[in-house]
Amino acid sequence: MPEHLIPTQALIGAWVAVGLTLFIFSFLYKDNPLFKLGEHLYVGISVGYSVVVVWFTVFIRLVWQEIAKGNYEPLIPVVIGLLIWTRFVPKIAWLSRLAFAFVVGFGSGVAIPRTISSYILKQIEDTVNPLVTMTAGGISLNLDLANPQSGINTIVLLIGVVSVLFYFFFSVEHSGAGYVAARTGVYFLMIGFGAAFGYTVMSRMSLLIGRFGDLKTFSTADYNYATLILLVLTIVSLAVWEKTRRRGL
Amino acid sequence: MKEFARWMVSIDRRIIFLLIALATLLPLLHPFGLPIKVSPEVRGVYDYIESLPEGSVFLLSLDFDPSSKPELEPQAIALLRHAFRKQLRVIGMTHWLPGTGLADSIFSKVATEMKRESGKDYVFLGWSPGTGSLVISMGQDLYKAFPSDYAKKPTLGMPVLEGVRNLRDVTYLISLAAGNPGIEMWYVFGKDKYRFEMGGGSTGVMAPGLYPFLRSGQINGLIGGLQGAAEYETLIGQKGTAVAGMDAQSADHFVIIALVLLCNVFYFVLRGDKGRLA
Repeated sequence: MPEHLIPTQALIGAWVAVGLTLFIFSFLYKDNPLFKLGEHLYVGISVGYSVVVVWFTVFIRLVWQEIAKGNYEPLIPVVIGLLIWTRFVPKIAWLSRLAFAFVVGFGSGVAIPRTISSYILKQIEDTVNPLVTMTAGGISLNLDLANPQSGINTIVLLIGVVSVLFYFFFSVEHSGAGYVAARTGVYFLMIGFGAAFGYTVMSRMSLLIGRFGDLKTFSTADYNYATLILLVLTIVSLAVWEKTRRRGL
Repeated sequence: MKEFARWMVSIDRRIIFLLIALATLLPLLHPFGLPIKVSPEVRGVYDYIESLPEGSVFLLSLDFDPSSKPELEPQAIALLRHAFRKQLRVIGMTHWLPGTGLADSIFSKVATEMKRESGKDYVFLGWSPGTGSLVISMGQDLYKAFPSDYAKKPTLGMPVLEGVRNLRDVTYLISLAAGNPGIEMWYVFGKDKYRFEMGGGSTGVMAPGLYPFLRSGQINGLIGGLQGAAEYETLIGQKGTAVAGMDAQSADHFVIIALVLLCNVFYFVLRGDKGRLA
């Protein structure tokens, strides 16, 4: 096979990818049967793929092969898992509570200490950084805004944390000094939401760039002009559908 | 002016879609090569990998599915190229079941390109259920958590895993995450308990929420979105799809900023016309 020739399976994959991308993008015009086809294929394939991977990874590899080797330990979680199915048999439905009790008990026991340590203690530790540092030359206050650990950023962080917490403190009326603190908290929140929204826009644009990048790649002669041919076919199909629909109305 | 503003605010939204499409497509066809500035967050990850001695164990967890491929695949490729170039022993895995095939193809593609061998230079373990429990299990015994790799080869005795018993033997871990399970889960159940160094890569949507972890030193670097991937590609000197997409990203942002400003202008022009808009 010449080096530049794309393998048949990659070629088919490219055509399917281009077709489905264009079908999904067709929603930007309006809801239509091509979009519905792409949407249903996405849902069906995702679920089908997950079922197959779970079957082979969990049941075959972690349960069946282990039992075949003479290791019966995996039968314990299998039995606990099967107990959940007793929900469908009213007479013995109470057995499912054992499984749920195990899941909740184990989950809480594992998660609570780790979560407190990681999300609360570590974060509090970072919020109360020292304002000034003792160096060989004496006490110094770092005013470098670019350095996250500097004294000036410690002050900004402290004001931000306290004012936002105060904004969510509803037992006291937000008036006078309380109003200033709560209002400051609102500004910090707005900056936070703005940053999050900016990143979200960037992220969504990245996804669009990714799809367009693929469409560009698959538009070459190597892929038999998949993008161009399927784009024309999609537009013609939409035009025919629209015409038929209007005639039907 | 008011008539024009009224016409503009009731413009067909499909014209805006078309503008965004053009702003994306034109720079992809004709790149104009804007400079890429490397942020300290991305440099943190790069510098740490750069400082690792040859043969160190590097665990790369690709915690995403194909819907986040445009942002996280370039990050994964750049990190793998860097790790293979530094002769690190790479362990790959995913906590996201629908992303297993994609993660495997990324490993295979980069390994082929860098002439690395599965089982000897790297291993892709695939997916296993449990998320947090799986991390704890890996922390106790890697071979019980993953008796075989994605290609169904037994993990015990693999040259790449020589001397690796559990997560305590991992030198550096990076989770490239599109949500949960991802960076936070790895930190909570992994790093906090088994004391390995950790960095992260994420989609742009997630990045702001991870900055508290970065600031507190819970992770030592963060690659955020396509921009972060482009910065990493610049650092390793091997430009890929992320750098190629940066011009389009800038053009998109320019169009969006212009539209936001215009909308605000029209809002102020029509402020007294409430209820009379089309």
